[in-house]
Amino acid sequence: MEFQFQLFGPLLIHTLSYWWVIIPSIFLGLIVGAIPGFSAANTIIILLPFTLVMDIEVGLIFMVALYCSSRMGAGIPAILVNIPGTAGAAATPLDGYPMTQAGRGQQALAMSFVASSFGGLMTTIIALLAMPLLAQVGYYMHSVEMIVVMLFGISLIASIAARDTHKGLIAGFLGLMIGSIGTDVVYATPRGTLGFLELYDGVPLIPALVGLFAVSEAFLVIEQKSILSKKGLDAAPSVGWSATLEGCTIALSRWWHITWNSIIGLIIGVIPGAGASIASFVAYQQSRTYSKTPELYGTGHPEGLIAPEAANNGVTSGTLIPLLILGIPGGATAAVMLVVMQYQGVTLGPTLFQLNPELGYGVFMAMAVTYFFMILTILPLARFMTRVTMVSTVYLAPCIIAFTLIGSFVPRVYMFDMWLGLAFGIIGYIARKTGYHVAAILIGVILGPLLETYFLRALKMSDGDIMVLFSSNLGNVLWLALFATFLVPAGIQFKKNRRLDESREAPNG
Amino acid sequence: MTEKQNSNTPDKRSIGGDMVIPVVALGFTLYYFSTIIDSPWTAQVSAFFIGTILIVLAAVFIFKSVAKVRLGEAGFGFSKLFSKADITSGRLSLFIVTVLYILLIEWGGFTLTTFGFLFSGMLVLSKGRDKGFIALLSAGLSLVGYGLFIIVFETRLPHGPFEWLMALVL
Amino acid sequence: MSKTLKPTRRKFIKAAVATAGVAAIAGSPFKSAFAAKFPERNINVIVPTREGGGADRNLRTFTSVWKNYLNVNFEPGYFPGASGRVAYEVYMGKREPDCYNLIFGNMGPELLNWVVKKPTFDLNAYLYFGQVDTDPGCVFVGAKSKFKTIDDIVAAGKKRKLNVGTSRMAHPASIGILALGEKTGAQFNLIPLSGGKNTVAGAVTGEMDFSVLTSGSVAAAGKAVRTVLIFDDKNKLGARLNNAPTMNDHFGTKLPPLLSARAFGIHRAAIDKYPDRFKVLQDTFFKVFKDPAFKMAYLKAKGDWEYVNPGGVKECEKYSKDIAEIGERYKSLLSGAPKKK
Repeated sequence: MEFQFQLFGPLLIHTLSYWWVIIPSIFLGLIVGAIPGFSAANTIIILLPFTLVMDIEVGLIFMVALYCSSRMGAGIPAILVNIPGTAGAAATPLDGYPMTQAGRGQQALAMSFVASSFGGLMTTIIALLAMPLLAQVGYYMHSVEMIVVMLFGISLIASIAARDTHKGLIAGFLGLMIGSIGTDVVYATPRGTLGFLELYDGVPLIPALVGLFAVSEAFLVIEQKSILSKKGLDAAPSVGWSATLEGCTIALSRWWHITWNSIIGLIIGVIPGAGASIASFVAYQQSRTYSKTPELYGTGHPEGLIAPEAANNGVTSGTLIPLLILGIPGGATAAVMLVVMQYQGVTLGPTLFQLNPELGYGVFMAMAVTYFFMILTILPLARFMTRVTMVSTVYLAPCIIAFTLIGSFVPRVYMFDMWLGLAFGIIGYIARKTGYHVAAILIGVILGPLLETYFLRALKMSDGDIMVLFSSNLGNVLWLALFATFLVPAGIQFKKNRRLDESREAPNG
Repeated sequence: MTEKQNSNTPDKRSIGGDMVIPVVALGFTLYYFSTIIDSPWTAQVSAFFIGTILIVLAAVFIFKSVAKVRLGEAGFGFSKLFSKADITSGRLSLFIVTVLYILLIEWGGFTLTTFGFLFSGMLVLSKGRDKGFIALLSAGLSLVGYGLFIIVFETRLPHGPFEWLMALVL
Repeated sequence: MSKTLKPTRRKFIKAAVATAGVAAIAGSPFKSAFAAKFPERNINVIVPTREGGGADRNLRTFTSVWKNYLNVNFEPGYFPGASGRVAYEVYMGKREPDCYNLIFGNMGPELLNWVVKKPTFDLNAYLYFGQVDTDPGCVFVGAKSKFKTIDDIVAAGKKRKLNVGTSRMAHPASIGILALGEKTGAQFNLIPLSGGKNTVAGAVTGEMDFSVLTSGSVAAAGKAVRTVLIFDDKNKLGARLNNAPTMNDHFGTKLPPLLSARAFGIHRAAIDKYPDRFKVLQDTFFKVFKDPAFKMAYLKAKGDWEYVNPGGVKECEKYSKDIAEIGERYKSLLSGAPKKK
C-alpha cells in the first residue's frame, strides 16, 4: 500500500464540506452513546433503511461520526450519574463520578471531552500514517497474547482490592464466576444458567452494567437531596465557564498521558474481537501502575478519568484498520459498516486502497474532522450538562431506574433482561452497602468470558498442553510486562518506605 | 459512593451484612459446579479454577467472621444492610414500585407504565408533595421516551393501549 | 424459561385492534368465510439470528416481494440466543399455531443443535416448508497461507494435527472437515471461533492453519482468503471461490451436500388445523422465485443468486433427514467426549 499524500488536502476540504452531516450525527451519537442499551452499532442497524439509500460518501461519514461521538457520549452519564452508557465506558466512573460528587462534574466532563477528542484525533492520524504496519498486529496477537492482555485488565481487580484485599478479591472472583455463566465456547454445554435459556449466551453486559452501577446507585442516593456531596452542593451553583477551561487545561497538561493511553486503545482496537472495554480497563490499570500517586486513583484523580477515555476513543480508529485493510471488522460497529459498504458495492480488504483510495483515506479523514467538530460543539455544553447533577434525587432516582431498565431490555428485547438488571441492582446495592467494590464485580463479568474464550482456544489448539501459554515470543514479552506491572508498584512502595524510614532515622541519627 | 447520613451510621460490629456476598458467592459456585460435573473438560477447566479460588476466599471470610463473633468482637446483625431509613426514605416502597413496573410494562405498554412508575416513584420519594408537578414531569418524560425510543429509534419496546392508539392516530 | 419472551404478541393485539370488526365476529358462524381470506393481518416471523445479519438480509429481501402476494406485511422478531435455541423455544412454546406465525431458520446448524442436545419440544411438532437458498460449506485459507491447495493441507495434516477454525462445532462445514479427515487420514482439530467474522479472521491472521465456513461468506471476504475445497456437488460460484474442487470430485467420496439452508418453518398443528391457510402460504411462496423483482432485490442485497434454491416440504424433509443422519455419525466429536481426562 503506497501513500497518496496528494489526496489529503482536497479530501480534507471535501470532508469539511459535509459539516451538515457530521454535526447532526455527532449529536445523535452523543444521545445513543449516553443511553445504556443503545450503541452506534444498533443505531446504524435501526437506521439501515436510510443508510442504505444514502450516497455512499454521506452514509460513510454519517456512520463514522456517529461511531466516534457515541464513544464520547457513553462517558457523559458515567461521569455525571455513575452510569456507563456502554461497556467501553465502564472504567470511566471510577474517577469521573467521585469528581462529580465533589462538585467538579464540569471539569470532569471537559477533561473527558478533551481526552476523547485529542486521543481520538491523534490515533486517527497515527492510524492513517501507520495503517499497513498496524494491520500486521492481527497477525501476531493470537489467543495466547490476548490471554495476557486480558490479564492486564483483570489485574485491575487486585488494584481495586488494595483497599480491602479480601472483599475486593471476593467481588472480583464473584464477577468472574458470574461471567462464566452460559454455554462453554467449545461444545456449547450450558453451565450455571439457573435453567434460563436467556443466559445460554452468557450474562448480557448492559443489564449487569446498569444494575451494578445505576440501579444500585439510584436506591442509595435517595437518602440524600442530590448526588453531590455537601461540599459539592455548596460549590456547584457558583461554577462558571472557568470550570470548563480548568478541565481543558488539566487534560491538555497531561497530553503525554492522553497520547500513551490512546495508543494502547489503538493497538487493542486493531485486534479482531478485542474492544473498548478491555482497552479502557487495561489503560486504567497501566495508568495507575506507573503513577506516582496510585493511592489517589478512585477518588476523583484526573489521570484515572483521562486514561480510559483516551483509550476507548483510540479503539475507534483501531477497529477500522482491519476492516479497511483486511476486510475483517474489529468490532460490532465496524461489522455493521461492512454490511453497508458491501451493499454499496465496495469491497473492503487489500484492494480498497488501490481501487478506492479516496474512500479508504476518506474514512479516517471523516474521523479526524468529526473529532475536530466534536470538541467545538460539545465542549461548550459541559456546563449545561452538569446541571443534571443538581436535580433532586426525588426526580432523578426514578428516572435513572426507569430508563436504565429500559436500556437493559433494548439490546435483546427480552423482558428477562429487565429482571436481570434489577437483580444486578440488588447485588450492587448489597455490595456497596457492605463494602464490596462493584467495579471489581463488573470487571469480572466483562473480561471473564473473554479470558475464558481465549484460554480455551489456546488450550484446544495445543490439545490441552498448558505450556502453550508460554509458546510465543511476543506472548512471553507480554508476560514479562505483566509481571512488571505487579513488581513496579511494589518497588515504588519499597523505595517510598525506605525513604520514609531514612527520614525518620535522620533526625535521631 | 454515597455518603451516609449520621442518623444511619451502621453499627460497625454488625457483620451479618458483610457475609451476604460471600455466602451468595459460595452457594452460587457450588450450584455452578453441580451443573458441570458431567461436562466435557472444556466446560470445566476455567470454572473449576476460578470457582475453587472463590470458594476458598469466601470460606475464609465466613470463618473469620464467625471467629470474630465468637470472640465477641462483632455480631451477626444486619444493620449495615437494613435500617429504619429503608422505610423512612421510601427505598422499600420504590423497590416495590420498580418490581411492579417490570411486571406491568408488558401489559400496560412502555409509555403508560413508565408514566405510572415515574409518577408513583417520585411521589413516594417526595412523600406526597408536588403532585401536580410530578404528574406533569412524569407525563413529559414518558412522552419524550415514547417519541425517542418508539417513534425515532423504532425500538421494539412493549406496546400497550397508548401505543396502539397512537398507531391508529399516526 | 421466562413467560415473558414475546415482544411481538402486542403487535398481534395491535393488529387485532386495527381489525376490530374481524375480531368481533371471529367466533361467529361467519368465521369460516373470514378464514378463507387468509391472511387478514400481518404475519410474524421469528428469526433465530441477529438483526442485520445474513439471515435477516435474506428474510427482508424475500418478504419484500412475498408480501405483495399476500397483501400483508411480515413482522420479524429476533431471538439470537443460544445458537438459535431461544428462538425455537419461543416459537414452539409461545406462538399460536395459526399460520400467522412462522420461523425463518438456517436448517443446517439449527438441526445439528438438536442432534447435540434435544430441545424441550417434540421435534415433529414443526416442519420446514419453504427453502429459500442453500449455501454449501467450504475450506479456505488466508491469502498469505503457505497452503495453496487442499492436497497441501491433507499432506500437512498427515504429519501434524492442523488447527481448523470453524464458526461452531455443530455446523455442516465442521462435519465436512471431519469427513475429510476420516477419508484421508489427515488430522484436524476443530476450533470453534463463534461466528463467521471470527472464522474468516482466524484464517486470515494465520492463527488457524485454515478455516471452514459457508461459502457465501467466504466469497464475500474477497481477496483476503482463498477457497480450496467445496462441500457440494459443484462449485457454483466458480472463480469467486477460486475454482476450488468439490470434495466428492476430488476425493471420490459420496457425501451429501453440506449446506446451510435458510427456510421458513411452521407448527405442524397449524397445518393440521388450517390446511387452507397453509396452502396459501405454499402457493405464494413459490410465486416469489418467478418474480423478477425478487432477483433484483436479492442481487441488490449482494446475495449469490446461484445459491437461490427453492424447495418445498419434501426437499426440506430430505435435507433434514440427511443432515440429522450425518450429524449423528459425528455426534461425539461435535458435542465433546464426556470427561476427557
